[in-house]
Amino acid sequence: MEMQHDNVGDVRKVVLMGRLDTKGVDLVETRFGAAIVPNGKNTIVDLTQVTFLASMGIRMLIATTRALSRKGGKLVLYGAGPGVMDVIETTALTDIIPLAATEIEAMGLVAG
Amino acid sequence: MQGREHGGLRSAAIVNGKLELVLNNTIAAIEDGRSRMLDFPPVQALEAPVRHRLEVIFEELVANTIRHGFTEHSCQSIHVSIEQRPGAMELIFEDDGRAFNPLEMPPPEPFSSIETARIGGLGIHLLARLSADLRYERLTPTAPPSEDRAFMPTNRIVVSIAV
Repeated sequence: MEMQHDNVGDVRKVVLMGRLDTKGVDLVETRFGAAIVPNGKNTIVDLTQVTFLASMGIRMLIATTRALSRKGGKLVLYGAGPGVMDVIETTALTDIIPLAATEIEAMGLVAG
Repeated sequence: MQGREHGGLRSAAIVNGKLELVLNNTIAAIEDGRSRMLDFPPVQALEAPVRHRLEVIFEELVANTIRHGFTEHSCQSIHVSIEQRPGAMELIFEDDGRAFNPLEMPPPEPFSSIETARIGGLGIHLLARLSADLRYERLTPTAPPSEDRAFMPTNRIVVSIAV
């Protein structure tokens, strides 16, 4: 599991790469939170290269979004492939974390 | 401590067209078992979204058993059988851990806000929603445990995934 982060204007952009399973979450969760929560910036998370998502990954996304929300920031996901989308839809995650198809759409949602 | 000394996978074999895995009581069993499952030709032939569901179900059940069903550092084990059936892939999970019936778990509360969203408990929900059929059986060991006893399962979960 790999992760990159950058700023696009005032928005934090985080790119996740690999499997958000038990092992992957264990490897990336601390860095993921540290890249997003402390500065409280609105954040978009690129899931394009996430090949697998299970409940541990959902838990990480909820926990980080909640911590960011307490600092006044918003988090938007984008780019989920079919398998990842299946899990997101099954858990109704989009009821609490917005999901966009593209980076441009995500930037619009996080700014809105 | 045999279960701790051999990584996650104790054994793997294809018997009468079924893949049979024996997993140790360690989190490494998730990754080691999954890798072996993906090498099984009927699994390789699945379309990607179906294979993803199979992997999710495998991960959630094995992780749940190791975290909640087993005694830490014990040599308890999970025996998994994977077989292609007409229109479905069937997985049978047997373990010698504490009783756990996923069918008795209440569905999680719907999300209403990020502040109140439950962080845990989604794995069993995923298991139930992604499977076409889910059955549980509590098994009664036929002999008292002993050091050299054969595996005597106490839980059996049968999961089918539509293909």
